[in-house]
Amino acid sequence: MQVGFYFDQTRCTGCGACMVACKDWNDVPAGPEFWMKILYNEEGKIPNVFVSYLVRPCYHCEDPVCIPVCPVNAITKREEDGIVIVDSDKCVGNEECDTKCLKACPYDSPQFGPEKGAKMRKCTFCFDRHLENKIPVCVQTCRPRALYAGNLDELKAKYGEIHEADNFIYSERTKPAIIFKPKQK
Amino acid sequence: MTEQDNIQDKDEIKYVRTTSAFDCGGRCPLKFHVKDGKIIRVEGDDLVDEENQLRACPKCRAIRQEIYHPERLLYPLKRVGPKGEGKFKRISWDEALDEIAAKLIEVKEKYGNEAIFLPTGGGFLSAYHFPVVNYIRLFTHFGGFSTHHGNVSSEGAVWATQTQYGSPFVGHGREDMLNSKLIILWGWDPARMNSGTDALYNLVKAHEKGAKVVSINPRYSDTDVIVADQWIPIIPGTDVAMMAAMANVIVKENLHNQAFLDKYTVGFDKFKEYVIGQEDGVEKTPEWAEKICSVPAETIRDLAREYATTKPAALMDCQGPARSAMGGQYNRGAMTLSAMTGNVGRKGGAACGGLMGIPTAHMFFGPFIVPPGRNPVEENHPNRVSVRGSLDVELRLRTRVHTNVMFDQIIEGKEGGYLYDIKFGWFACNNFLNQLGNTNRNAEALKKLDYMVCVDLFITATARYADIVLPATSMAERSDLTRPWPSGPYFGHMNKAIEPIGECKHDITIAEELAAKLGLEKFRHYEEDKTVKKLWRNTVDIKKHVKDYNKYKEDGIWRVETDEPYVAFKKQIEDLENNPFKTPSGKIEIFSERVAKINNPNLPPIPKYLKTWEDRNDPLIKKYPLQMISPHPKNRVHSELYHVEWLKEIDPHRCWINSIDAELRGIKSGDLIYVHNDRGIISIEAWVTERIIPGVIAIHEGTWYTPDEEGIDRGGCVNTLTKNAYAPCGAAALKTCLVQASKEKPEVK
Repeated sequence: MQVGFYFDQTRCTGCGACMVACKDWNDVPAGPEFWMKILYNEEGKIPNVFVSYLVRPCYHCEDPVCIPVCPVNAITKREEDGIVIVDSDKCVGNEECDTKCLKACPYDSPQFGPEKGAKMRKCTFCFDRHLENKIPVCVQTCRPRALYAGNLDELKAKYGEIHEADNFIYSERTKPAIIFKPKQK
Repeated sequence: MTEQDNIQDKDEIKYVRTTSAFDCGGRCPLKFHVKDGKIIRVEGDDLVDEENQLRACPKCRAIRQEIYHPERLLYPLKRVGPKGEGKFKRISWDEALDEIAAKLIEVKEKYGNEAIFLPTGGGFLSAYHFPVVNYIRLFTHFGGFSTHHGNVSSEGAVWATQTQYGSPFVGHGREDMLNSKLIILWGWDPARMNSGTDALYNLVKAHEKGAKVVSINPRYSDTDVIVADQWIPIIPGTDVAMMAAMANVIVKENLHNQAFLDKYTVGFDKFKEYVIGQEDGVEKTPEWAEKICSVPAETIRDLAREYATTKPAALMDCQGPARSAMGGQYNRGAMTLSAMTGNVGRKGGAACGGLMGIPTAHMFFGPFIVPPGRNPVEENHPNRVSVRGSLDVELRLRTRVHTNVMFDQIIEGKEGGYLYDIKFGWFACNNFLNQLGNTNRNAEALKKLDYMVCVDLFITATARYADIVLPATSMAERSDLTRPWPSGPYFGHMNKAIEPIGECKHDITIAEELAAKLGLEKFRHYEEDKTVKKLWRNTVDIKKHVKDYNKYKEDGIWRVETDEPYVAFKKQIEDLENNPFKTPSGKIEIFSERVAKINNPNLPPIPKYLKTWEDRNDPLIKKYPLQMISPHPKNRVHSELYHVEWLKEIDPHRCWINSIDAELRGIKSGDLIYVHNDRGIISIEAWVTERIIPGVIAIHEGTWYTPDEEGIDRGGCVNTLTKNAYAPCGAAALKTCLVQASKEKPEVK
């Protein structure tokens, strides 16, 4: 089984509640470490302006490129649900390996705190909630219901198999587990 | 992290369901996870299915950082440095209250009770703890106090709805937007400003169901990003010019609903005379309006036709544009368009009026702990007249100063023509220095006060000027009853999750302890849990709907089931004879006799576009060529939550500026710029965007005034630039403001 996300880009206002709830649930301090981010794109000229937001958790790729580059095998992909998990205790820290996972990831999902030697941490698909059959906290937070999560095959059956969205490039190499309703220009 | 690391030991965790009491409009259900007496996580509504959950915004999701912020006040403080410097030392509650009591007695004896100034404050709106009510009760027992009139948020809309409908309950249940075919967002941005927890999602669903959404706004708002099929940028303060032109088109093309106007309204002919030019010889054509509001005449014409012929259509005005120099005209104009198109009292329509409240579970019916009593200073005032039913704000200002000039009264006093000489100020649950116009002047006023007490969670921009600062408990430390103010319907129940932090006390306890120090023996004591339950029992509308108190308390929310969404004035439209509007004529008053009697050309009896100070016609525009608007932030409730880092990082404090204005000034995104006028200078990061009309900048209100040694406000508080003035209808005119922006530091006066 592979878990994944469905993101309705036409509904996201970029409010940031998912970012805050993620930091609260996972106790991540304010600062550069974001397990969930929102990317912004603006094009055009007044009054014909196009704006889109994009959620950027870890997409729990089907072929995660972060795993083979890790020098100490700290990152694993769970067979039962496809969640990509890092063992931060094993991670040697951002200085010693020069953040190989972050450099390999096309989506900058591996995260490091600001301190020297910070260990990699990232979105766990709210692993503790997942074990209790609860959706990730970012999904539970979304007011306009732009973000859904679950079994990727079931999401595809319900929402289709669109891999493209504004401000997003689907990586054939890593196969991110997210499908979209994209915002059209 | 191993798979086990993040799994909490469930047995040790207690779940406490509650709501906030912020001045935000939402009362979103929250679920605190409490372990060893500490909140470790905050979850949202999980009591009902995902579709119907009332999901909280980022502000409450980050509340843990507010409650446990390292800068939160933990014990009483006494100022040791000059006012405004922010140097304090810890003192005991006894010392603090003894000193305050002695000072109060001294001021009362020397100057009388009127010299004690008690501003209100919307920072905590609830039944039991409501700080201002507790202090009103205290100072009433002490012989009275002076205060102010005028709600900073909504006075323009309140005045307009009282004028036209005689009622502030002009809202529809949010689900009713799904019945609309056309929704016009006239300044309304529910993605940023919580006009009801479920407002945004219902708007999204209405749009997806096929309603066309048009936004008229100087900015392309966060809401517009997801729902606006068309964005019509408009110059701030000119809304009524566009509305009059829409009315002109509708009348000229005979698209108005004459039968509706005949049956339900009075005075449409007078308004018609104005729009077709019979009154003043100026026809309010789309071409006339284009020169004022910058919206192309054809766009105005098209929208007028579309609004008049698409049924039902919901014109959603709000309160922001009414916070301006000719405030209430905007809401009156919108209500008149709604009547002309027969959209009042109609499913899928909207009555307009900006307040959006529905009567069930509305804050206006909020129970107050105990009647605070009548204030002897006002009761016995020789100027006092009855204001019942009056639309003349000046009558209300005969015993109170207007909110947006409260600091002028402190500076100028009776000699300057004000009512009172203020000596003592008690500021609780507000940050008025920061949140009212002309903050530099407000700071001067606070320096002039003989004595000042501030009760808060932090040393706010206002508290820096206090002699004594008292630490209050937060929402997590309190049990109470709450209610949303615009929509629902549902009732909230706050539940205490943790013990008071440090030496923090409830406002009601502070009032009681100070009453004892003042020798007020009859000041009653109340127990929190007992009284909260009693308030449920004794408050008619809660008791009517909430049948099971224990479930209400445990869930932190009681949802009121309705067969269909509430529609304002449905009863009036269905049967006017038996349900007249609460106006003197019993009808919708497009022309108001009561307003005509006030006889003020800037407060006309029909809605009109009026020129103002600091609009684009003001010669001052040569010196200060940009209009500044100051919308609600999405990451603060006004100035509350300012410290919370999780919130700061989701929306850095920036000045929205169009690329045309930015290029003229050599400004790029990320530059530190100065925004200034004769009232002050702020520094702020620039954000160059196409999402704002040229000639206008937007800065979100509520960051804290932080003047440096030169007097430049490094906190970027918008009110360092806004004017301490009010509209003829009583609206605080904070959105009418001319400024200049520059990369270079302007000359400091």
